[in-house]
Amino acid sequence: MKCEVCLELLEEYLDGELPQPDHVEVGEHLIACGDCSASFAALSEEQELFARYDREVEVPPFLWTRIAAHTVAESNGARSSWSRRVAAIFATPLASATAVLLLAIVVGLVYVISRRPAPKPIVAEKPNDPTLPRDGTDPNHGGSVKPSTTPQQDSKAHVASKPKPRHKPAIKHANTDQSDVLSSNLGYLDIDDLDTARHIEQSQNLLRSIRNVPVSDSDEEIDVTYDKALSRRLLNENVVLRRDAEMKAKFPTKTLLTDLEPFLIDIANLPDRARPEDVRVIKERVKKTEIVAALIDYQDRGTNNR
Amino acid sequence: MKPLTVAFAGTLMNSPADLVTRVCQGDSDAFRLIFERYSRPVISFIYDMVNDRALAEELTQETFVRAYRSIHTMRAETKLSTWLFGIARNVARESLRARARANNHVDLADKSVMDLSDNKPVPVEGLLSKELNALIRRSLAALDEDKRLVFTLKVLHQCSYEEIAAITGFSIAKLKTDLHRARAEMRKRIRSYAGVGYEV
Repeated sequence: MKCEVCLELLEEYLDGELPQPDHVEVGEHLIACGDCSASFAALSEEQELFARYDREVEVPPFLWTRIAAHTVAESNGARSSWSRRVAAIFATPLASATAVLLLAIVVGLVYVISRRPAPKPIVAEKPNDPTLPRDGTDPNHGGSVKPSTTPQQDSKAHVASKPKPRHKPAIKHANTDQSDVLSSNLGYLDIDDLDTARHIEQSQNLLRSIRNVPVSDSDEEIDVTYDKALSRRLLNENVVLRRDAEMKAKFPTKTLLTDLEPFLIDIANLPDRARPEDVRVIKERVKKTEIVAALIDYQDRGTNNR
Repeated sequence: MKPLTVAFAGTLMNSPADLVTRVCQGDSDAFRLIFERYSRPVISFIYDMVNDRALAEELTQETFVRAYRSIHTMRAETKLSTWLFGIARNVARESLRARARANNHVDLADKSVMDLSDNKPVPVEGLLSKELNALIRRSLAALDEDKRLVFTLKVLHQCSYEEIAAITGFSIAKLKTDLHRARAEMRKRIRSYAGVGYEV
């Protein structure tokens, strides 16, 4: 190949757009020709310079809100118009007064319900034990408290049953002080922190997708661009949340986030087009360590503690 | 393919084709995923074209609104990113035309660009990134629209010639010529900074 032909094809060679025979020919010429090779090096250097270009442009957080208002929100127009119709019904003074009355009743009911004593704890009870009251009275209160009965019924029950002294039943207290126990359920209250809850959920989704991705030996590469970007973001979050959990002595949270971190690091460090074996290694580790189960368990405990 | 639940949002299982299908079926979460995945390249591309941050945000919004409204017309064989870039290109072009009509066109003989492109060699390593960014941004703005378009898509967004042809509607021959000339102009403006001795 002559140098002028090579120079003419150099940009396409750099762009990877040359047909295979030309590509090979230019490559061979570059090995042999110092001048053309220097030109190619200069062109590559120039390309590197443009690769460093940082526009410092970010997608502003409000942009999606604006776009959604013109797109998906319009699609949900039917629901919105229904809401507007309901609002219109309550626009008249009489309807407004009715609404206020209804609201007051609901608030009152909620108040009354919240003032009721806590439900009776579960106790071991013999089926025909005559010492235990059969009318639903609370053994912890000597059978004297039964909100659902009238005062007359209550006093009758009190006199009739006369419970004998007996061993105090074993009752499981949910809120026992366990400040000396590191893995107390109290730590799971951290799930009330929406950031942690959301982080755990997103991490769980990411790991599930990695665990479920089909990997076959025939695949040349797997596009993980999005997952990698997501993992990087989650990794940054994870570090902050883990430190926060440590500072607040929420040890179960801290332990879980510590366990999660190596997975996020591994996914974040994958190339955009990862080799199947690299994805498979992470996939197998996700399965083996049951990290997804741990995340789900954590979420469930958090939900139950709310 | 079976539609995916929200639980798998943003994962490997959400291929562009799946997302498009789901949006057509009225799944708003799928459109949000498309936005999250492509908003950054789209806003960067538009910014490269219009060189105005606030305008780029506005035009990105317009791009995604148009995309949502016409996504059902997208052909199955079309790549989602190519299709979005095509819409972004049209939106940016309309804006540039409107701006040109208002005599707010970019000054092609931007003196600041020429001042930066003197002949004093400065090693690349010594070039502050902010200085480099400003230089590239101004040099891009100085290119004419077609050259800026192909240069941005090829060099800054690594699109293939085929994708650029699909986005711009240009023939491969035209885009090759424009790209070559754009590179030459950009090289001329940054040569001293890059220390590039390559002559075209």
